[in-house]
Amino acid sequence: MSASAITASHGHDGHGHGHDDGHHGHITLQYQPGLPLTRGKLIMWLFLSTEIMFFAALLGSYVVLRFGAPVWPKPHHVHLSEPIGAFNTFVLICSSVTIVLALESARANKASVAKVWMLLTLLLGTLFLGVKGYEYAAKFSHGIYPAMPHSRIYERPDLYYGSAVRARLGEPAMIDRLKELDDTPADKLTAEQVAARGRLQQIRKMVASPDQQAFDLAVVADQVMPLPTEGSGSDHGGGHGGHASGLNDVFPWLRLPTVIPGGNMWASTYFLLTGFHAIHVGVGLLVFAIMLTWTLNAKRAGAIENIGLYWHFVDLVWIFLFPLLYLF
Amino acid sequence: MSDHDPHGPVTRPGASADETLQHAIEAEHGGHGDHHSHGGLGKYLLVFLALCGLTTMSFFTYSPAWPWRDQPQVGWTFMMAVSCTKAMLVILFFMHVWWEANWKYVLTIPAAMMALFLGIMLIPDIGLRNRMVSQERALHMARGSDVRLMEQAGEAKALEQPAGH
Repeated sequence: MSASAITASHGHDGHGHGHDDGHHGHITLQYQPGLPLTRGKLIMWLFLSTEIMFFAALLGSYVVLRFGAPVWPKPHHVHLSEPIGAFNTFVLICSSVTIVLALESARANKASVAKVWMLLTLLLGTLFLGVKGYEYAAKFSHGIYPAMPHSRIYERPDLYYGSAVRARLGEPAMIDRLKELDDTPADKLTAEQVAARGRLQQIRKMVASPDQQAFDLAVVADQVMPLPTEGSGSDHGGGHGGHASGLNDVFPWLRLPTVIPGGNMWASTYFLLTGFHAIHVGVGLLVFAIMLTWTLNAKRAGAIENIGLYWHFVDLVWIFLFPLLYLF
Repeated sequence: MSDHDPHGPVTRPGASADETLQHAIEAEHGGHGDHHSHGGLGKYLLVFLALCGLTTMSFFTYSPAWPWRDQPQVGWTFMMAVSCTKAMLVILFFMHVWWEANWKYVLTIPAAMMALFLGIMLIPDIGLRNRMVSQERALHMARGSDVRLMEQAGEAKALEQPAGH
């Protein structure tokens, strides 16, 4: 009844005079939305369309850079582990399923079940970030950073590389450490360390030698951190791609410059792409954590649907990132 | 899309436009009977298994059993096809686009086209950058010969002591 009173009053203010001839004093106002969906969902979809373009630009530049580069490192050259990447893909797919189940439970008004699914999603997302962090740590420990102050990547085994190795070996702290290593009796070291010590001594002579050949620097680079070949790379048994014999691996404190042809551009694109993806994962986890404090009943289904859409999009980006970064 | 109310949702007093719309959308879904589980657990599980299977398929290109190891382009094409299939599965079923009304085209097609144009626009800017490079860059740029030199150095085992393992 109140509805007719309100609409009738609207009819007199000149607003509805165009179509009041059919029904006298009983005008129903009609709300015609541009798109038949709620405001939140519309905003989320508009946001996701900007996100599509954002990641399309990033992925597009990666593809163009990668295929425009004269040399691009193989996944094993940069210590990428395909099984770990595949595992992370699996984790994200699982989390997509759990958030969709959280939404279904919330729609069915099963708040506690929805909370369990959302908690599971949060845990899976955290696991993803944890694995990502482990991978980043492995890169950092091999001197793979996106920029120079930390990065120890050299593109070619040339004179610049040789002088960088010489400079590192000539640091005062390094001289002491090397002297300490030389003075250590052989029975206090493992067989691997003794062999590596011999090779290190030869390398020190080679980089200091005034009549070094171009090939010598390639040998130095190979000793510091060998590039696994096709054969040794594919079996991938020991977790390090079968190249744990590099001097940097035997003596982690050495931190000598390494040669990875194409490695700098690889590191820039890898950290940019996975970094932006990880930020998106982090934001999703934050929202999940906030939503876990709510009662996830049917009233909240709209909000869960929206964060679910966002989370699926994050999964979607990883679906393309995984083969592009790990398997190409 | 239901056609039982051709004029769309009707505003009710005391309710905001968004709430009214939410009620109308819910009512519409309710009219169809099976409202809240578009897919149900079984369908989601099926999509999940398909996604796992597809991931295994693209991971298969990395295994020694993959027959085209000497032609990486075959693997790349295959993996992109697999990724697009996975993306479609996620978009259609997990993001419920399969069950959405026609507004989905309004939002997704322009964005997809813009994304495509963005990718195309990058090609001349970056793809041809090696045509003209600075002398400094040419000096420090890695080449295929550097990789071969490193591989030769690895095979030569120049420093391997005879007594070593």
